[in-house]
Amino acid sequence: MTPAKSIGPKRQRVLDSINHRTPDHVPVDFGGCNVTGMHASCVAALRDHYGLAKRLVKIIEPYQMLGLIEDDLKEAIGVDVARLSGRTTMFGFDNQGWKPFSFNGLTVLVPEAFRTVTEPEEGGTLIYPRGDTSAKPSGHMPKGGFFFDAIIRQEEDQRENYDVDDNTAQYTLLSDAQLDEIEQDARAVNTGEYAVFATLGNTALGDISGVPGIDLTHPKGVRDIAEWYMLTASRPDVVHQFYERVVETGIANLEKINARVGEAIDILFLCGTDFGTQTSTFCSTKTFDSLWKPHYTELCNWVHKNTGWKIFKHSCGASERFFESMIEAGVDIINPVQCSARGMDARFLKDKYKGRLVFWGGGVDTQHVLPFGTPEEVRAQVLERCEIFSDGGGFVFDAIHNVQAGTPLENIVAMIDAVKEFNGMRH
Amino acid sequence: MALVEKLYDAIVDGEAATAREAVNEELAKGVDPIALITGSMIPAMDDVGQLYQDEQYFVPELMLSGRAMKAAMEPLRPLLAVSGVKPAGTVIAGAVKGDLHDIGKNLVISMLEGAGFKVIDLGTDVKPEKFVAAIREHNPQIVCMTALLTVTMMSMKTTIAAIEAAGLRDLVKILVGGAPLNDRFAREIGADGFGETATDAVTLARQMVVASAHAN
Repeated sequence: MTPAKSIGPKRQRVLDSINHRTPDHVPVDFGGCNVTGMHASCVAALRDHYGLAKRLVKIIEPYQMLGLIEDDLKEAIGVDVARLSGRTTMFGFDNQGWKPFSFNGLTVLVPEAFRTVTEPEEGGTLIYPRGDTSAKPSGHMPKGGFFFDAIIRQEEDQRENYDVDDNTAQYTLLSDAQLDEIEQDARAVNTGEYAVFATLGNTALGDISGVPGIDLTHPKGVRDIAEWYMLTASRPDVVHQFYERVVETGIANLEKINARVGEAIDILFLCGTDFGTQTSTFCSTKTFDSLWKPHYTELCNWVHKNTGWKIFKHSCGASERFFESMIEAGVDIINPVQCSARGMDARFLKDKYKGRLVFWGGGVDTQHVLPFGTPEEVRAQVLERCEIFSDGGGFVFDAIHNVQAGTPLENIVAMIDAVKEFNGMRH
Repeated sequence: MALVEKLYDAIVDGEAATAREAVNEELAKGVDPIALITGSMIPAMDDVGQLYQDEQYFVPELMLSGRAMKAAMEPLRPLLAVSGVKPAGTVIAGAVKGDLHDIGKNLVISMLEGAGFKVIDLGTDVKPEKFVAAIREHNPQIVCMTALLTVTMMSMKTTIAAIEAAGLRDLVKILVGGAPLNDRFAREIGADGFGETATDAVTLARQMVVASAHAN
């Protein structure tokens, strides 16, 4: 598409860090993908705080109501990463044709096809897949809520429908029109200023946010989350078939993406499946190695053989026991590094995986310290995490998962200031 | 109370249809329903809980066993209703106002039912007044509340305040759980216990029922 881009200091520090070289500064990501963002209310508060142009925040991802972090806010925060994702949202409609939408005292801009209805009694908001008001709503925001949760639309007669086409209906081949859009969007971010973080290709293996098919008007197959979890234990043969299809479609998409915009991309979002709970995991290492690892390996092998992209894997919770297998499969970067979960101590992780795994996250605890601590507690934790994780590169600063609504502005600012303070101390 | 191997194995292995079939076979032989529950089904779920604690089992296996337990209970429920047998205790459970996440709650419920408790599931996004009304209606010993989100955790505090304001606080023990919670938070909001896992919840519920029986 475009000639190889130049390398500015922001992109350079990300490239250094993800290649385990010590960068000039700890690089920072907010908004690079759907698990490193901020709720729209936080984005709005930060825009006010930094005195940026007054305008409504665009919702870049309507499921979690994440706000678009525009270049002026990136500059104020010190973000080094740019987002490159398809235009289709998690609810299956495109991010285009913006209109105002108000919730919880906040007015934001949402895509034209963001179509909702208010529950008559409870007052919650229901949203339609693909903007199709003739379908059953697929997302529910309770009254007073801040984002949507999936509505489980499991048809009873579909509970044991293991047809591969039905169960992988949301994993489609990119159309030429979609590839044209990706190329257009890639051109805009391929300036060399930022490291480009791509969420493209749809290579998720059993990500629970995708199971209910909130982007499908009439989802078929196993769409109940509990049913899905049980299927992974009771019918791994069936799950393998689904994953084989996802890998086949995913690689076909990645081939096309690479041909069109390969040089624009530095980091690829592989999969958001969470393997950890707060205290344990969702499966044994044996199950991970037999049910997921072969498929991750196939995807990662293709990427490493054909591109220069680094592979980013998200997995919440106490996931550490799978890190060796993920590295063997070809994963380069792990996120969100939930240090508040069991066995995820920052020092332990860095000592064990230094030089082998990039920690993208882990910067501050979004379950306790960031939402409920004092600004000084936030500062102390951010400085400590930067000190631990930045040793020898292999670290991109990010909060542990998206910064949630209700997080005090002074704590978010304390987090941002502490990263700047740490970076200043290094010179 | 002899252990019925087919029933016990079906629950431990998470095979719902076999569990139901085993119960029907035993009932056809004239076996006492209570003997099936106390001799095979509760021991099976206790062992499932232990397998989970030992990390031999994980969430999917817990769910499968919970479903098998539920399937085994189906033919037994009408028989228990007429026999007047008392459950291990009565629990009401719900995800608090604003919170729609029910996987953890459902696991706790299936483990509690597996331990012989009667559980009234209030669902998700449960307002404080609904908890209060359910306490009045069902007279439980224990109220279980869950929240997955930092933005909904504080609904637990307002729910406990509503239970206090209704004059019902001394009648129930309150047990809380959910990913962002910890013991300290549970104490701060005035709960009686924090269950980090579904099996912790069962252990605490059993202790609470014993304590409340002694208190009475």
